[in-house]
Amino acid sequence: MTYIPRKPSVLSRLPWWLLTIALLFVMAGWAIYSNGTYSQIFNALRGGIFTTIWVTAVAFTAATLIGLLVALARTSGNRILREVATFYVEIIRGIPVLVFLFYVAFVAAPAMVVAVNWLLQPFGTTITIRQFDFAWRAIVALTVCYSAFIAEIFRAGIEAVDRGQLEAARSLGLSRWKCFRLVTFPQALRTILPPLANDFVSMIKDSALVSALGVQDITQLGKVYSSGTFLFFETYNVVAFLYLSMTITLSLLVRLLERYLRENRH
Amino acid sequence: MPFAKIIAAALATLTLGLPSARALDMVPLPDLAGREIVAVTENAYVPLNFADPATGEGIGFEYDLFNEIAKRLNAKVDWQLSSWDVMIQAVRDGQFEVGMDGITINDERKNLIDFSDSYLTSQQLMLVRADETRFTDAATFAPDENLLIGAQAGTTNFYVAVYNVLDGKEDNPRIKLFDTFGTSVAALQAGDVDTVLMDQTSANGYIGANPGAFKVVGGPLGTEDFGFILTPGSDLLEPVNAALAQIKADGTMDSLLQKWFYEYNAAQ
Repeated sequence: MTYIPRKPSVLSRLPWWLLTIALLFVMAGWAIYSNGTYSQIFNALRGGIFTTIWVTAVAFTAATLIGLLVALARTSGNRILREVATFYVEIIRGIPVLVFLFYVAFVAAPAMVVAVNWLLQPFGTTITIRQFDFAWRAIVALTVCYSAFIAEIFRAGIEAVDRGQLEAARSLGLSRWKCFRLVTFPQALRTILPPLANDFVSMIKDSALVSALGVQDITQLGKVYSSGTFLFFETYNVVAFLYLSMTITLSLLVRLLERYLRENRH
Repeated sequence: MPFAKIIAAALATLTLGLPSARALDMVPLPDLAGREIVAVTENAYVPLNFADPATGEGIGFEYDLFNEIAKRLNAKVDWQLSSWDVMIQAVRDGQFEVGMDGITINDERKNLIDFSDSYLTSQQLMLVRADETRFTDAATFAPDENLLIGAQAGTTNFYVAVYNVLDGKEDNPRIKLFDTFGTSVAALQAGDVDTVLMDQTSANGYIGANPGAFKVVGGPLGTEDFGFILTPGSDLLEPVNAALAQIKADGTMDSLLQKWFYEYNAAQ
């Protein structure tokens, strides 16, 4: 028997997983549109969508900036910077996000208020804990947690750039900063972008933890709605659907991005 | 000074011929001069505080009661939301001035925050699966080591389970702790635990929303008193108590109880 490769049929090449998801989405959308209970739940949770996206977007932007700085410190020539940055990453990465959330809300936040008031002393003004609401405390916690993960993504990307590139740039007389900005970083970005986008997707899911502080995100509104109506099954169906519509959309975009980066190597 | 109040009411009735409920209004309440009170709840405890399924608006017995208290003290209420897990701590920190969430008055908590006088007395009932036959009340539940209770850490139903149903040991392995009230009921339905303690209103809600799934067994267990929590040393404590006493005395409290515990049906 010699093996004769067959031309793959159209059916076998279709992404069935994606079609199944699309079908589920259409069904869920139809249920929300046509079923009174589901449309009421959807309306009750709608306000949480913005909160979830807002908390995630702000925290992720800040975490990316801090993560980049920490990664630069991790790869810098200065020993002290390297040690401090490594300490930061190891400590933060080792604490569960939920624990960190409570830590920021009830230990770090009151301490920050005291510190800020001490700094404001000469100006004769004070701030109170009340001006630092739970949503912002949650954002600070998510930012710090994720900055450690993102720093590692940046560091891996920077270190993956061929050393020859850097040596060539240095020999052309470019300063260290110019080397990084013009040679290393643009090449590192290709390695960095996909895992960075994946971290954004996981942050959307982790943002559900802010409900532990009572921030009115999708999860908290689901908790509130279900305890008011006793409809746990239906409510969490909608909660899951809302998160999936965000995470799957983004995952598909990440796939496209990866494909684009693969096809445009030069 | 209830005695003085009675005298004042009696005198007013005698001299002015007013009905005594009106006469109670003659006892002047403190005037907070339009002050804004920052109050917090969670909206997850039918019928005390919850989100109206139709509008998402926070409604319930505690909302009505505290709004009424503020109105009588000439104050405005700035309603805020937090989760139950962090409420006592946040009120203690002064982030919110007053908190309410069916919070049982007990000595442990008195060390952290100030309590108002009680505004509601609640009794716990045993909610079980509809097909439950192994026990019929707390007395028959306690001896069987295989039977488990679901509860929320640090809540009334936890304390009643420990002291009124089991052996008074808070680390008793027969109590399974859950994050929210809803998850403990979901665990009961799934068979992870065999009973969850709750007040009559919640029990009615769950039985109504899941026909044929649950029933109540035995009589009422431990009663507990709910109070508003205030930041330690709060200057609101006395005015709130004074207004609360007036609301209880003039019949407003009864009509609020009637509205939320008898007329409002959560599981429509």
